Amino acid sequence: MVRLITHNLLACHAKGCTSNNFPLQFKDIQIELREAEFNPDFLRGFIPRIEWGALTDAARQLGDTSLPSEPPDMLDDDFLQKLHHVLLEIHVEEGAMVCPNCGHVYPISNGIPNMLLAEHEIG
Amino acid sequence: MPTAVTPVIVSDNPQIYEDAHVHAIYEEIAPHFSSTRYKPWPVIAQFLSSLPTGWIGLDSGTGNGKYLPLPLERPGSVWTIGLDRSRNLLGIARNAGGGEASREVVWGDVLGLPWRRGAFDYAISIATIHHLSTHARRKVAVQRIIESISPVHGRALIYVWAIEQDELSKRSIPSEQSDELNGQSKGQDVFVPWVLSQMSSKPKPSAKSSRTRSNGSGSTYQEEEAVSPSPEDNTTGTSEKPAVFNRYYHMFAQANELGLVIGSPHELRVESPDSKHIRNMTGIDIVQDGWERSNYYVEIRCWRK
Repeated sequence: MVRLITHNLLACHAKGCTSNNFPLQFKDIQIELREAEFNPDFLRGFIPRIEWGALTDAARQLGDTSLPSEPPDMLDDDFLQKLHHVLLEIHVEEGAMVCPNCGHVYPISNGIPNMLLAEHEIG
Repeated sequence: MPTAVTPVIVSDNPQIYEDAHVHAIYEEIAPHFSSTRYKPWPVIAQFLSSLPTGWIGLDSGTGNGKYLPLPLERPGSVWTIGLDRSRNLLGIARNAGGGEASREVVWGDVLGLPWRRGAFDYAISIATIHHLSTHARRKVAVQRIIESISPVHGRALIYVWAIEQDELSKRSIPSEQSDELNGQSKGQDVFVPWVLSQMSSKPKPSAKSSRTRSNGSGSTYQEEEAVSPSPEDNTTGTSEKPAVFNRYYHMFAQANELGLVIGSPHELRVESPDSKHIRNMTGIDIVQDGWERSNYYVEIRCWRK
C-alpha cells in the first residue's frame, strides 16, 4: 500500500540524486478509502517525525485539505481523527510517484510501490 | 533425514547470481515458504515490544511480513514498514496478521536507500543479509540500515544464519565448514534446498520436519523447514516428484563476522575522541549480540552527545 505515512518517508535514490529528492510527486493515481483502527497514542508520538509540509501537500494532491499548515499545539481528538484519516486511510492503489529533482518514475501497482532501480541507476 | 546443505562457490556477477539463486526462488516458493513462517522469534518480539509508542520502523527483507503486526500486546503502537525484493512475498506481507488491518509494504532492494535519511526510529533485518553473496554487499546492506535510522536515537536488530547450527536443527553441515584454523573464519557459502511439492502448495507433514524450541521463558515455539529427502533430487519435477530449489546462503562464521559487516568506528560516523567539539558527537553502540538457535544477532543503538 502507499498510504501517506509511507509516502512521507520515501525519497528518490537514483544515482546522483541526493538533493530535492523528497517528497515524490503523485502522478495519474487511483485512490481507495479504507477505514483503519484509530490509535491516538500512536499519532501523538508520531507527529514529531512527520515532514509536515510534505504531508499536507500530498494530502492536497489526493484531494484532502483538512489539515492545518502547521501541526496545532492542542492535539484534540478532532485534529487527531483528521490526521489519522490522512496518514492511514487513503490508499494509493495505482499510478506513480515522480522525483521532483531527476524525474525518475516509481510505479505503484496493486497498492505496492516499486522502488527498485535498474543496475545502472543504482548510486 | 537431515537437510543436506551443500557448499558452493559464488560465481558470476553477484547481482545476477542472487537473482538466480535467491530472488527467483522466493518468487516461486512464496506461498509455501510463507506457510512455514508464522511464529515470531522471541528476541525479535521482545525488541519490538520495547519500542516507545509512536515510533516508525523498517523491516528490511520482510518476507511474508510476520513481524509487521508486532507488538501483539500493543497493536498499532508502532508502525513497521516492510521492504522486500520478492513481489510475491509482499503480496502476502500486505495482509500479515490477518483481519482487517493492512500493512505498508514497499518493493525494493536492501542495497538501496529509498527513504529520507534517518527517517526511521528503528529497523529490523531478519534472515536477509545472509542472502547477499559477497562481504562487500553484506556490508552495504548493513550500512543502508544504519543510514535509514535516526543518528540520534535509532535502534536496529539484525539476524543472520550461523555456521554453528543447534542440535535441534535438521540441517547437516559438512564438517570442513567449521574449519577455523586461521582463527578468522570467513563463513561458508552454501545452497540450502527448499522442497516444493508439485501436488500442493501447502506444507505436507511427510515432506517436512518440525522442531520445537524453547525460548527460555518456558514457552515453546516451532519453526519448520522443508527437508530434502535427497539433495541430488534436483529436478523441476514434472510428475509427483517434489521440486527442489537451492537457495543461496552465506553462513556467518561467528558473531565477529557480523561485527565486521557493521563496520569500523570511522564508518559508523563516530568522531575522533579528541575532538574539541564534544557536542553533537554521534556514535553507535552494540547493545547486545550473540548466537541464538542457529543464528547470530546484533542489536545496535545510535546516540548523540
